[in-house]
Amino acid sequence: MNDLTIRRILAVFLVVAAVLIGVAIAAIRNIERSASSSDWVNHTHAVISETEAFFGAVQAGDAALRTYLVTGDPRDQAAIRDAAAQVDEHLEVAKALVRQDPETSQQFVLLETLARQRAEYNRELMAARSANDSAALRTLLASDAGGGGIREIQRKTEQLKAAAMARLSVQDTANYLQAQRTRWTVWGGVALNVLLLAGAIWLIRDDLNARKALAASLREANLQLETRVQERTAELTAANARLSNENLERQWANQALEHQVRYNQLILDSINDLVLVLTKTQKISRVNAAVIHLTGFPSTDLINQPLARIVHVIPPAGAPVLHDPLTLALDEGRDLRDLPAILEDKAGGRTRVRLTLFPLRDGIKVVGGIVTLQPQPA
Amino acid sequence: MAQKILIIDDEQPIRELLAQYLTACGYAVASAGTEIETLARVDEGSPDLVISDLQLEDTDGLEMIARLKERLPDVPVILLTGVLFDPEVARDVLHKHVACYLEKTSPLSRILETIRQLLERRQP
Repeated sequence: MNDLTIRRILAVFLVVAAVLIGVAIAAIRNIERSASSSDWVNHTHAVISETEAFFGAVQAGDAALRTYLVTGDPRDQAAIRDAAAQVDEHLEVAKALVRQDPETSQQFVLLETLARQRAEYNRELMAARSANDSAALRTLLASDAGGGGIREIQRKTEQLKAAAMARLSVQDTANYLQAQRTRWTVWGGVALNVLLLAGAIWLIRDDLNARKALAASLREANLQLETRVQERTAELTAANARLSNENLERQWANQALEHQVRYNQLILDSINDLVLVLTKTQKISRVNAAVIHLTGFPSTDLINQPLARIVHVIPPAGAPVLHDPLTLALDEGRDLRDLPAILEDKAGGRTRVRLTLFPLRDGIKVVGGIVTLQPQPA
Repeated sequence: MAQKILIIDDEQPIRELLAQYLTACGYAVASAGTEIETLARVDEGSPDLVISDLQLEDTDGLEMIARLKERLPDVPVILLTGVLFDPEVARDVLHKHVACYLEKTSPLSRILETIRQLLERRQP
């Protein structure tokens, strides 16, 4: 896998991890908010409950008071005091609950004032009833004709409850929206991660395909290279075999030539007469064993030397020597037979011989001559 | 299996060159410089073809070929010699025991061609 693909896949997994962390943080924050909201809702319900209990105690006290006003029974006074204690208790609890909410606290202070006024009014009625002061009772009852004090408390209580319920509704809406956001965040994160993982899979698949293609290309290149190597090896082997054969042919030709030269020399050496092979310029190119034997010269001293070094033609007595008879015969391409001549050996000795010349022809061209010397008795 | 050729020549360089060439051409080659060596090579295994010189150290080549043909009547013999014959005369004199006459000046390729022709002719 190449470095670029690894880097891309690592980057994808880093983004996936970041998205997962983001989603986890969002979920944790939502849980904390839900817990906090739940506490707030419970608290608000507790305030509502205390408010309702407060107003219930006020109504219970008021009912017990009216009963007492009718019966004058001291046991009803206890019910009135009990209700008044419950009113105080619920007020204290409610105030404690809304202590951190100044606006609602203010409402409860107002409600407490109304409750104290009502309690004072109730005590005055109880005192008048205990004293059987009908005039004071009528005056007091007339001052609250229609139950205005209770209705005011009820109205304030309802306002408090309505405000609390409104806050609950707003909180409920906020909770719902928060849950929706969290849900979208989670699903969005999941979808993004799925897309990123799909991208990573695509990158891996793409890289694998590229590697397969590369491997196939390498195999093909190797096959081509192997084929070329085989072809080249075959060519070299064939060329080597050809060169080897040519070399053997050359050696064979040289061998045959040497054999032929040796064979020719054997022929020459087998002749008893002295035989000298001349070039066109009468230089000695070859001699037989008889020449070496009679002159004492080794062949190396004679080869390429002029014939005149060892052979001297004796001109006919009285005849002018205008031209060398050997030169004339070679130029004219004719034989010379039995010319008297002198052969000079290495030690300076002289031997009388009869010279015969045969022109050496290559086709119609005279290229040299063959000289035979026949020693004459002294 | 490679066909076997027996080379008979008194000159060792000739034997070696010819043996090297024919081996490279795919033949199994044995060589001998005398009649005694020749008979020993034949005892080791009958050749498919014989190439012989005319002159041997211990005997005359033609006489040895005549004796050899008594043992190997179906084996073709090529006479390879440096002694120059008139071709017409050579044919008349040599045809009895010799399948073919070649001079040592003949190129190796011609010798090989002659060997192939004779061996092909011999095959059933």
